[in-house]
Amino acid sequence: MSGLNTSLSIGLQALEVTQGALEAASNNIANANTPGYTREIPQFSEVGQTLQGEEIVGGGVTLDSLQSVRDELLNLQIQQQTSQQASADTASSNLQQVQNYFASSSGQDISSELTAFSSSLAQLSATPTNSAARQSVLSSGQNLAHAFNSTASGLASAQSEADGQVTQTVSQINSLSSQIAQLNGQLAQLTQKGQDGGAIQDQRDQLVQQLSGLTGIAITQNQDGSGETITTGNGTPLVIGSQSFTLQTATGSNSLQKVLDSNGNDVTSTIQGGQLGGAIEVRDTTIPGFTSQLNTLATQFATAFNTAQTQGFDSSGNAGQNFFTLPANSSDAAAGISVALTDPSQIAASSDGSAGSNGNVANLTAALTGKLPSGETAAGAYANLVFQVGSAASDASTQLTAIGQNLQQLQNQQSSVSGVNVDEETTNLIRYQTAYSAAARIIDTIQQLNTITLNLGGSETF
Amino acid sequence: MRINPNFVPNILTDIQQSQVSLDTALQQVSTGKRVTIPSDDPYASASLVQNTIETGNVDQYTQNISSVLSTLQSADSALSTVVSSLTQAVSLGTEGANGTNSAANRAAIATQVQGLLATVVAQANTSIGGSYLFGGTSATTPYTADASSPTGYTYNGNDSVNSVQVGDSTSVQVNIPGSQIFSSSSNNVIGALSSLVAALNTGNSSDIATATASITSAIGYIGQQRVIYGNSESQVNAQQTFLQQDTVSLASQQNDLIGVDEATAAVNLSQAETINNAALAAAAKVLPNSLLNYLSPPS
Repeated sequence: MSGLNTSLSIGLQALEVTQGALEAASNNIANANTPGYTREIPQFSEVGQTLQGEEIVGGGVTLDSLQSVRDELLNLQIQQQTSQQASADTASSNLQQVQNYFASSSGQDISSELTAFSSSLAQLSATPTNSAARQSVLSSGQNLAHAFNSTASGLASAQSEADGQVTQTVSQINSLSSQIAQLNGQLAQLTQKGQDGGAIQDQRDQLVQQLSGLTGIAITQNQDGSGETITTGNGTPLVIGSQSFTLQTATGSNSLQKVLDSNGNDVTSTIQGGQLGGAIEVRDTTIPGFTSQLNTLATQFATAFNTAQTQGFDSSGNAGQNFFTLPANSSDAAAGISVALTDPSQIAASSDGSAGSNGNVANLTAALTGKLPSGETAAGAYANLVFQVGSAASDASTQLTAIGQNLQQLQNQQSSVSGVNVDEETTNLIRYQTAYSAAARIIDTIQQLNTITLNLGGSETF
Repeated sequence: MRINPNFVPNILTDIQQSQVSLDTALQQVSTGKRVTIPSDDPYASASLVQNTIETGNVDQYTQNISSVLSTLQSADSALSTVVSSLTQAVSLGTEGANGTNSAANRAAIATQVQGLLATVVAQANTSIGGSYLFGGTSATTPYTADASSPTGYTYNGNDSVNSVQVGDSTSVQVNIPGSQIFSSSSNNVIGALSSLVAALNTGNSSDIATATASITSAIGYIGQQRVIYGNSESQVNAQQTFLQQDTVSLASQQNDLIGVDEATAAVNLSQAETINNAALAAAAKVLPNSLLNYLSPPS
């Protein structure tokens, strides 16, 4: 039977529900700037109607749950883009560093030193007996060798930096995997109890997104409700439900770190995306490509120049000796090239053994201007390398910008779904405040009515 | 549709982007360069390598030309001195061939011719910057006195010729060895002067006439040799003109590759500045807006 008590309990329910809604609004406002926070909206529902005699009476309101508003598909896209962005970012920052060694503005790059070397040979052609001209050929040859050395060591240091990133990133991945596994466990327990694990899910999503920045990942929902399975792009498991799998690093035969899965299998070449993928690509593909071209150039140029040098005679009439010394291992050619001659008189300018002859200078110059076995001139081969370094750096940074814009779009979309709008929450606060006042008024009114009812029978007033 | 409530990151990105454009524009205006690192324009950076080397070479070729010119001019003036000595020797020879001369007169003429011979040898031994103009490619004094030689002098140089590079594929001959100019088997200038001295000393008129005739033909021969120097000189002059044009075109190519058009750069700068200002002004206007500003404070 409907009565004042029913109204009183409806009023009380309304007070409680409104309090819950106020809590949700204040929590949303409090977390407006918390990264990864997903706004929660209170889910109200009407309590079942009851048929009382001829009348249908409403049973008030109940707060079913506070529901986090999230779009899983968007999250997934954001994770994928984050992986690509981190990969491009790592490559781009590494290549920025590499390309500085190829910038002609430094004045000590290979191009500037080739220019000086070529000029010094032209000068020697005019004044073959002048010891200053000879010294200048020797010095600019040394500078050229030094430019090869420093470019090679620049490439090597960029490579070892990328190698350091691999080790570092792997340990970050492991730490994130274990945290995600732990949260998966907690979330599974909450889900079993039928509770909303919004806060934990936010935390986990945040960590998964961080993880996707470290390496490309694939996520599947476990059928048994134990959370998610996260693997690297090629299927190496990182997290299965509440269990995490650690990646390891070990020094490979090339003295660079290889990445091993939890069973000790080498998975280095299969890792793509994220900081780890970017670092591995730069370390194992991009930089070695540049280094090997530089080595080829150093070897072919030095060999051609040495051959030209041995065709002539030095200023004492002795047969010319090798100008450059190349290291025994051709993969160290650019890093180890040095000038073999110690005295300017050893430069084989003469073609007939007489001191004043410049006949062999043309051969020396031809080593610079003629085609090397690669089919290009020394300058051409170097220009080609500069082009490749420049376009690799420029591609990486263009890609980074493009992915960045894409990612921003997605984040905008995600934020429009899940982000807290303070104006909206303020409006809600006002709404709930009014509702709370109204509910309190119900209770106040019922109380007054109760008093009147109780006073009906007696003279005493309560 | 719900609007993204959190537009602060977007505004920040926009401001940052406008600052990047501003930085780039400012850098281009202040350096005058569009390309400073290879990724700015990989193709231009690669072409710049070739351009730098060519520019360096052209500079050096230009320097080579001035040193070649001075060598060629020294050689030519030495030869001109030789020719005037030889002309003098011819007139002395003609005078000496006159039968009315006494032995003492002829001896005096012989001494004069001997002096001319010394002048010619001195010219043949001209050196510039430590290298001998007429010694081939040898570094030793070309002609030294040698009593055992029929001409009284030995040639110590060699027969080699040096060509100096004055262009990527252009080189010019800068010397003629003494063995070709002064002591060749067919036209031995020094030999002819020596025989004139000997003939004057012995007093044989027909020998004097023969020696004088061979000196006359030597004058013609040296004239032919001077043509070689003249050719080199005109070749070098033409090359110099070419190199001057090449310098200009290389510099303009370099400017096309990495330089920035000043007007465009200035416009870009002012555009970037406007955009940056607009982004900042918009942010300042939009960011403080909130419903809370308009609600009356709770009493």
